[in-house]
Amino acid sequence: MIRIIGAALFAVAAVFGSANAQAQQTLAQIKSRGVLNCGSNTGLIGFGAPDAQGNWSGLDVEYCRAMAAAIFNDPAKVKFTPLSANDRFKALLAGEVDVLVRNSTWTITNDTPPGLLFTNVNYYDGQGLMVRRKLGVMSVMQLAGASICVQRGTTTELNVVDYFKINNLRHTIVAFDTGPETLKAYDAGRCDAFTTDASSLYSERLKLTVPDDHMVLVEIISKEPLGPLTRDNDSQWFKLVRWVHFAMLNAEELGVTKANVDQMRGSTNPEIRRLLGIDGKFGEGLGLSNDWAYRIVKHVGNYGESFERTVGSRSVLRMSRGQNALWTKGGLQYAPPIR
Amino acid sequence: MGTGPGLAELNRERENPFRQTGDNNMKKIVRAALLAAVGACAAGSAMAQGSGTLAQVKSKGIVTCGVGPGLAGFGIPDAQGNWSGLDVDLCRAIAAAVFDDPAKVKFVPLSAKDRFTALQSGEVDLLSRNTTWTMSRDTSLGLNFAGINYYDGQGFMVRKKLGIDSALKLAGASICTQQGTTTELNLADYFRNNKMKYEVVAFASNDETVKAYESGRCDAFTTDASGLYAERLKLSDQSEHIVLPEIISKEPLGPVVRHGDDGWLDIVKWTHFAMLNAEELGVTKANAAEMLKSENPEIKRLLGTEGKFGEAVGLSNDWAYRIVKHMGNYGESFEKNVGAGSLLKIARGQNALWTKGGLQYAPPIR
Repeated sequence: MIRIIGAALFAVAAVFGSANAQAQQTLAQIKSRGVLNCGSNTGLIGFGAPDAQGNWSGLDVEYCRAMAAAIFNDPAKVKFTPLSANDRFKALLAGEVDVLVRNSTWTITNDTPPGLLFTNVNYYDGQGLMVRRKLGVMSVMQLAGASICVQRGTTTELNVVDYFKINNLRHTIVAFDTGPETLKAYDAGRCDAFTTDASSLYSERLKLTVPDDHMVLVEIISKEPLGPLTRDNDSQWFKLVRWVHFAMLNAEELGVTKANVDQMRGSTNPEIRRLLGIDGKFGEGLGLSNDWAYRIVKHVGNYGESFERTVGSRSVLRMSRGQNALWTKGGLQYAPPIR
Repeated sequence: MGTGPGLAELNRERENPFRQTGDNNMKKIVRAALLAAVGACAAGSAMAQGSGTLAQVKSKGIVTCGVGPGLAGFGIPDAQGNWSGLDVDLCRAIAAAVFDDPAKVKFVPLSAKDRFTALQSGEVDLLSRNTTWTMSRDTSLGLNFAGINYYDGQGFMVRKKLGIDSALKLAGASICTQQGTTTELNLADYFRNNKMKYEVVAFASNDETVKAYESGRCDAFTTDASGLYAERLKLSDQSEHIVLPEIISKEPLGPVVRHGDDGWLDIVKWTHFAMLNAEELGVTKANAAEMLKSENPEIKRLLGTEGKFGEAVGLSNDWAYRIVKHMGNYGESFEKNVGAGSLLKIARGQNALWTKGGLQYAPPIR
């Protein structure tokens, strides 16, 4: 009997042992595997989508490539696993992917269950409104008396009603059952404004008859902070994911770009020297080489470059920086300093 | 996560197989052994990872909070030993969430040198002590920053009679600063980046620098903004000096916890977020009870009249209601400790909500 119990105990210990090893050693596993496993969207233009040849692009995709650049000095060493909204957290918890960078909203429900932890916000999203340019308004505050096309029974509808009520703006809600119906009605001129999350407003605009006749207003009326998640209790990996974003923000703030990063290695600015690993040993704590951030900028660029290329002025979406501008430029993107 | 079975429960499970020795049903015994092993593993890994901080806090009956030895506005005891400050309020808010009693905190004053060791060794459950979040601290100490409860950074103070309202109008000015500090480097960078000339007047100590500025040796004085407001209190004619709005460096201050207990990390992080969400939704200490009847779904979720958001972190579902009822929202705590209602009179600036031009932003409760 003792032997049976012993065997049972051994089996349990083995299971716990490996679970623990997995929890603590994501980076070691990635290094020995030679590739980063990144959970991504199944296809969202601007954030994560494969082309016909299976080449992935997007803001979230570039985040994964930046991690691979920091670890392997090679942004191509990423395996993208497309995950549905339903499967994404399960895949991360099961260890199928090392990190989830899949336009996931940081809410208390997603952040606090055992096993999941948001690292940071790489895109501040939130509900916005689109109008026709010929309306001549710049702000939601000028929309008193407007009619608004919205999808029925959604948080989107609640938010827009709340916002207009709080700001004492008269309005008419014109609600439809589905997203496509709502957009079609707006395109047909049934309402003055169309509302959904800002990131989608830009991609929905592309589907309108004449996209350029429409503009997104500056106000963001709800919070949809999007960011990556890791598993709980692997602090080194959690921080690596977090500091890759911070490095890209600090690079932008210091004017270090993909094009000038080699030249910047000769800079006398102490902040740039620490960022690029000329001074200090900041990579060590993350289990990386000290030129970890140099590798990121060299292969992928800074956050602003990645933003403009994937969702901003150089992309089909042409989103403005808005809340995703640096803190020095009126936005919310802020990274603790490298020192 | 931070919770899991309590110690008492684990002990019970561990004893089970021995209590059942009279039972010959081997399956039952094996199952009991397995249960015990699972319990032991959970307890073992919990301890190895420093997990169970919440369970320890609950069994102690207090939150042990590492604070500064005495920094007005952030953490300072009065003559009777009553602590106050923005960092102190965060500790009390955590006690309110856990115990429904903001008094259940033991404050441990820690020097800058000792603070991290005290947290690492388990002497305190968290550090809430105007600590700058830097990369070396974040990656080499075995500690996690749980958020930014005060965005600090270097600023400038000038005499009102100079008639300027922006640091960008300081071209040609003489500036008093402390020698050989990051402050002096930041100053040089800022003026160079903005193509402005200036004359630096540097002193060995902070006190000398302030004294020189007061005696009129320079047009401006520069140090971290929180320090500027504190130093202004010491000037003989404080109402004649203003702090300019520009912040030229990053000194994000925030609470710190140990690695390996991400459940506790969640509690500290979401306590700050709850105070921010309360401010954003207009829920105050004075109206929190009234707001329990609100129809606004965001307020209902915040106050726990809808949803079970406390459960996931081992708290009751009215955790955030307790925080606001006892401590108020972030804006209230800010104004009382460092803002308009305090001696310091620090402007909200970067610490305003994201909806008011600041950087304070909390993920939503849903």
